[in-house]
Amino acid sequence: MFSYKSRSDRIIEPLTHLTCSNCNTENSRPFKEGDYVFKEVDEKCPKCGSVKMLITGIYIEMRQEKERQE
Amino acid sequence: MKDILDLLQIGGQQDILSSLISLIWLMLLMSFFLYPGLSQKIQLSYMLRDLERKLNRLKAIDDDVKDRTIKTLQTYAPPEIDVKNELEKLLDSFIISPESMDPYGIVYKLEHIVNTWEDRFEEDVVKICKKADNIRVKTLTNLVEVARGVHFIYRFVRHYYLLGKRTSNIYLILQIQMLMPQIMEIANAYRQASYAFIHGQPIGDGIGVLSVARLAYGREKKTYEIAKDTIAHELDFEGRRLILVRASGPGGTVGRPGEGVQKIVEAEGDKVKLIITIDAGLKLEGEESGKVVEGVGVAIGGTGVDKYRIEEIAKAKGTPLYAIVIYESITEAITPMREAIAKAADKVIEKVKQTITEKVESGSTVIVAGIGNSVGIGIT
Ligand SMILES: [Zn+2]
Repeated sequence: MFSYKSRSDRIIEPLTHLTCSNCNTENSRPFKEGDYVFKEVDEKCPKCGSVKMLITGIYIEMRQEKERQE
Repeated sequence: MKDILDLLQIGGQQDILSSLISLIWLMLLMSFFLYPGLSQKIQLSYMLRDLERKLNRLKAIDDDVKDRTIKTLQTYAPPEIDVKNELEKLLDSFIISPESMDPYGIVYKLEHIVNTWEDRFEEDVVKICKKADNIRVKTLTNLVEVARGVHFIYRFVRHYYLLGKRTSNIYLILQIQMLMPQIMEIANAYRQASYAFIHGQPIGDGIGVLSVARLAYGREKKTYEIAKDTIAHELDFEGRRLILVRASGPGGTVGRPGEGVQKIVEAEGDKVKLIITIDAGLKLEGEESGKVVEGVGVAIGGTGVDKYRIEEIAKAKGTPLYAIVIYESITEAITPMREAIAKAADKVIEKVKQTITEKVESGSTVIVAGIGNSVGIGIT
């Protein structure tokens, strides 16, 4: 049958942006089930090693959209 | 026979084949002259084929969204429940808008019907997804609403396709064909929206809620539920009493901001000196997404009930109404939030702070309502 999945139809998964509660370092990773903005998660900070991070944003980066267009 | 061939051989030396071709050409030409409906018939069949192709794509989108919805609901449903059957019932449900022959009090009638509808829809989802928690139920209800939306689009287009085909009505087909590009875009957006609701990801429409959540984050405040699925934060901002209203998250809901703001103004009396609403607004084609613009009035979409409530109470008390709108396309509003929109929250907060310090004297109260869907946005 007909396939509606053209290139532009592909779904882009948003990234979860986390900020360390200790040193304010920001980093991002792919979205995980159960994430929501302002959720405190027990994930290790890549810089200071603190295990308390706050989700400060979940969105699709412009970089991801550019990659899809190429 | 020879006479006819001689007649056709104008100029003399052509063979039988080319004579036949000229004869066919002549007949075709004559048929267009003598039978004017023919060209229209050809055009109609071409348009019907084009519409059929698009209808098939719509069907594929409808099936895809339905399948995903069923799978998602099944993870929260006890095994004895026939999810597919229950979902079909919800997809076919309808809402009848109130009679407008006598428009007096129609807003509250509409509100009553919409509230009943929302409550019932949610109750039905709870009945299917017994294992889902409160927050999850809200998002699943949104998901079913998206599936219902896609299903309606498919049914709507199919209706015009079949009706046009049966009656050979080219004008009917022409109208639906002209709308098809936008319809396909909306259907695709709905498909992406279903992904966002399945995973509980924030959508573009949530920017109003996100801005208010950012504003409240890290400040000392009192938080309470002011209306169904709607919360209020009370805090101090540079000597002004700031009351923030938003849909409670991180489940997907828009809450009842109109009722919330109305209750606060009634409780605060004449102390409320300004009401600011923040919402995503439809941008015009060619405009930049995430642009923050200011204006006056109440920035709330939807049925109009919330807007009406705030306008009523503001008029009664003489409170100025300010609005901040974040530009988005219809697709961006219901699909996972884009960076340009997420980044607009900071600009919104700056504008809100500036407006409050400029327009409101210390000691007065300001209400700031962040409008939109709270999916994926937690309470700060
Ligand atoms: Zn750190």
